[in-house]
Amino acid sequence: MDGLLAGIKAVVDGLGPTVLLPIVIFVIALVLGTKPGRAFRAAVTIGVAFIGINLVLGLMFTNLADVAQSIVTNSGLKRDIVDVGWPSAAAIAFGSSVGLWIIPVAIAVNIALLMLGLTRTLNVDIWNFWHMAFMGSLVVALTDSLLMGLGVAALMAALALFFGDWTAKAVQRFYGIPGVSVPHLASAQILPIAVIVNWVIDRIPGVRDLNMDEKAIQKNFGVFGEPVVMGLVIGIGLGLLAFWNMADTSAMIVKVLHTGMNLAAVMLLLPRMVKILMEGLVPISEAARNFVQSRAGNKDIHVGLDSAILIGHPAAIASALILVPIAIVLSIILPGNQVILFADLAVIPFLVAMAAPLVNGNVFRMVIIGTVTLAIGFYVANATAPLFTDTAVAASFSLPEGTTLITSVVDGFLWISWVVVKAVEWAGALGILALGVVIFLCIFSFKKNPLAWQKLADIQTEEAKKVPAGAPAE
Amino acid sequence: MAKHILVACGTAVATSTVVCMAIEEAMKEKGIMVSTQQCKATEVPSLVENADLVVSTTPLPDDLPKPSIVTLAFLTGIGKDEIIEKIADHLRS
Repeated sequence: MDGLLAGIKAVVDGLGPTVLLPIVIFVIALVLGTKPGRAFRAAVTIGVAFIGINLVLGLMFTNLADVAQSIVTNSGLKRDIVDVGWPSAAAIAFGSSVGLWIIPVAIAVNIALLMLGLTRTLNVDIWNFWHMAFMGSLVVALTDSLLMGLGVAALMAALALFFGDWTAKAVQRFYGIPGVSVPHLASAQILPIAVIVNWVIDRIPGVRDLNMDEKAIQKNFGVFGEPVVMGLVIGIGLGLLAFWNMADTSAMIVKVLHTGMNLAAVMLLLPRMVKILMEGLVPISEAARNFVQSRAGNKDIHVGLDSAILIGHPAAIASALILVPIAIVLSIILPGNQVILFADLAVIPFLVAMAAPLVNGNVFRMVIIGTVTLAIGFYVANATAPLFTDTAVAASFSLPEGTTLITSVVDGFLWISWVVVKAVEWAGALGILALGVVIFLCIFSFKKNPLAWQKLADIQTEEAKKVPAGAPAE
Repeated sequence: MAKHILVACGTAVATSTVVCMAIEEAMKEKGIMVSTQQCKATEVPSLVENADLVVSTTPLPDDLPKPSIVTLAFLTGIGKDEIIEKIADHLRS
């Protein structure tokens, strides 16, 4: 009997996400009421996506690992933590042991909080459950305990709903999307930083009157909005930094241009591969939406969506375009930093979009707030990179032997990851309990006094007071 | 000839995939031939030339030379049928 169990365990461990996740997804889809044929096709698609992501990761790694090592030897800059980008992070998260369970866990948390009247957000954005799975899988890498990982993932689901509720009015007003909230950890995490930095800026004469012209920025920095061109430019830049002093000039030029072209390819291909993962998830996501919506009744609720719907706003685009070169400079000048930025230079809009309502779209302030957020993020990434790398290995992604660590801006730069990891590192299960207490104190405090919280997140509080829609749920 | 729809969102990965799949399915049912292409909102200006219609889940530049629809209906499920009709009307004209 023991032999049989050990045998099954060996098979399950050996399968990895390319087989295991499709099986789990198939079962979840059936439970949520998807037709078997559709569920089967979706599940297989997800397995295919993992194989595709692994292929592109291989291409990126051969190039970036080589470049990172050459930069260390040629320029003395120690930059050996490679930014593999959120597409990789999402795949790692869904492929982790927590990722297998995250969909039912997060749905259960959402339904429970709705029933208890502790949230007004119905999170139908199944795709972004990966953020919760990611935090959970960092904890699994730290403690080797799936239970603790799932506990953290469940708490992150609650935290995302809290952020969604907190920012709902601000997002609805500023972005003009009634009935919607954005329970998205990577975007919401800027809020506490934004509140503080904005308060400081308000008290500096002169500086508080500054703004920037969105149109001019988009015209001059527009190239950073086009992933292929950006990949090429950054690739050539990194290539020059790595190989500038090679003895043979013609060989140097070949190497630099190859690096540029290969990294341009990664910038285009990596999101494409993740798109396949998304295609596989759409039927499940639809079924889950119907499942939850039919159980939530027709109470006055916000539909929780991906912050991708905010990113097209000129203020978000313009500030992110300026933050790309700033982020690169930060990666070079920050003392002690070992992170080399690459794939996630494309997702900086996600980091800053949620600050827009607070500063009423003032691009100058968004850039300052974004710079502070990124600077903090670098240190978070340096601290959490070993766990990030362990998580990737545990989800059976192929990384080169021992030489390089990995991270990504989303979610490796989030202070939330750092707080979670440190809490568990210091106090184990007690740390998770403490996190839970803090999160639920926030939720109760918001429920008691929503206006005070909304005031923090949004500049136009006078209007919020007049409109009765800003009143508490029940 | 198939009509070309450019579908935009913040990443060209997540929400635009949902919209693309929904549009393709709905237009197939209506017998309208479409081809779709996903992109980031920032890429729309450089790709819009080949498109007959732009559908986006996030704000678009306001000086586009082609008709555009910004909608969350495919994500929330609310008002989805009306939007599908609107898209079909654009493509038939």
